[in-house]
Amino acid sequence: MKDPYKILGLNKGASKEEIREAYRKLARKYHPDQYVNNPLSDLAEEKMKEINWAYNYLMNEAPDRAGGSNNYGYNSDSRYIQVRDLINRNRLLEAERILDSIGSRDAEWYFLKGIIYMRRGWYDQGYRHISRAAGMDPGNEEYRAALNNMAYQASSYRQAGRGMEGDGCDACDVCTCLLCSDCCCECMGGDLITCC
Amino acid sequence: MSFLFGYVRPCKEELKVKEYNMFRAVYCGLCKTLGQSANQLCRLGLSYDFTFLALLLIALDEEEPRLAQESCLANPFRKKAVVKRNRHLEYAADMSNIFTYLKLVDDWQDEHSIRALLTMPVFYLPVKAGRRRYEDKYNFFRELLQELTALEASQNNLLDKSADLFARIMTGIFTPDYIEGEREKRVLRFLGYNLGRWIYILDAYSDLEEDLDNSNYNPLILQYEYRKGEGLESFKKRIQEPVEFTLTYTLSNLAKGYELLELHRYKEILDNIIYMGLYRVMRNKLEGSDGKGERSLQNTGTE
Repeated sequence: MKDPYKILGLNKGASKEEIREAYRKLARKYHPDQYVNNPLSDLAEEKMKEINWAYNYLMNEAPDRAGGSNNYGYNSDSRYIQVRDLINRNRLLEAERILDSIGSRDAEWYFLKGIIYMRRGWYDQGYRHISRAAGMDPGNEEYRAALNNMAYQASSYRQAGRGMEGDGCDACDVCTCLLCSDCCCECMGGDLITCC
Repeated sequence: MSFLFGYVRPCKEELKVKEYNMFRAVYCGLCKTLGQSANQLCRLGLSYDFTFLALLLIALDEEEPRLAQESCLANPFRKKAVVKRNRHLEYAADMSNIFTYLKLVDDWQDEHSIRALLTMPVFYLPVKAGRRRYEDKYNFFRELLQELTALEASQNNLLDKSADLFARIMTGIFTPDYIEGEREKRVLRFLGYNLGRWIYILDAYSDLEEDLDNSNYNPLILQYEYRKGEGLESFKKRIQEPVEFTLTYTLSNLAKGYELLELHRYKEILDNIIYMGLYRVMRNKLEGSDGKGERSLQNTGTE
């Protein structure tokens, strides 16, 4: 069994307050929102489980709640469903082949194409395609959430750097936390972080 | 285009003295290993980027690196802590030599750069030795560089596509064969990809002026369709926002990969490089108020 203190980066005998603080920091770092459309999301999920386990173990709570799932929403075209399924299983080449064979280029098409680009590391094309989808179908929340999420990830990277400058910068911490809780309530509806 | 190196560096003023000394010890260790790899001139190829590679690989190793107090050519009278030669330093030195050599060959073929031709022999022997040891990697890099040259010759106008080839070279550099864990390998590959992508795009941005003047290939000029008479400054202004966004997003992914690694040491230094050093180098290059920008790290973060 792994040492739960080590997992949370704490010394043995840390107080409950310290445990809560460490947990909050780590949960923010490995939260699924931070790994949306990231090919390493499964590893982050493992890490998140480990952190949850350590936290619950130390706080003497019942272990593990159900984790968030990263399934996409619904769509009527069966080929789109197939493409989404392949993307979820990281079979990007097949997904792209099917997508390219579809004649009509609607918002959903641009969205899925954008997601494939994102997974491949082609963030610029990814962002352009998803923006285009959101422009074609402004009412679609999934498209908008994907764009917001990219902006959120980039900004939380900047916040992390700022938080390290000099001696602790609490204002930034608060800001990241707000952003994070805001986003996790909006997109996930999950309760992985106890603070939101 | 040419790859200026040295983008991957810590933000010195935010390091503690203790941490700075540890960084120096790895830097000097790599320098010495390069010197031993064949001839002293190889040290010319030393860059911060490969120091970062060595630092990261040593940080991932459970075994504590051994230190020695040594003096060196640059500083003959003062002894300093130096990390003793180990397999990570050897690997980073070999990669540095191979990569520098391939770049020189490429520059010579591409631009008939006399400087490249004259520098090549320095790296010839160490590369010949390294090639046998890293046959697969050598061929992998060579093929990708050739593909990149071909893509540039065909005036490819997709930034992502050109960056992808360079990024893939970096996946090779960041995954030494001796790393066996699949999980660790996957993360390192991802980290290398994003670092390579970031370097390539940032370099393209830094080279805009030179490339416009000389009508060289530059994916940004093509993707954002530089208009004749538009002028460098207004073009930069036009593209800065999307370029900065894609670069920052790339760094955020690099950081995501990094956070999934299990480090045994150097966390403060690596955190510093990833969250502050890279970001500041990028900001300075994007603001571009300082020509080549190499000294710009002195100006601390006003945004």
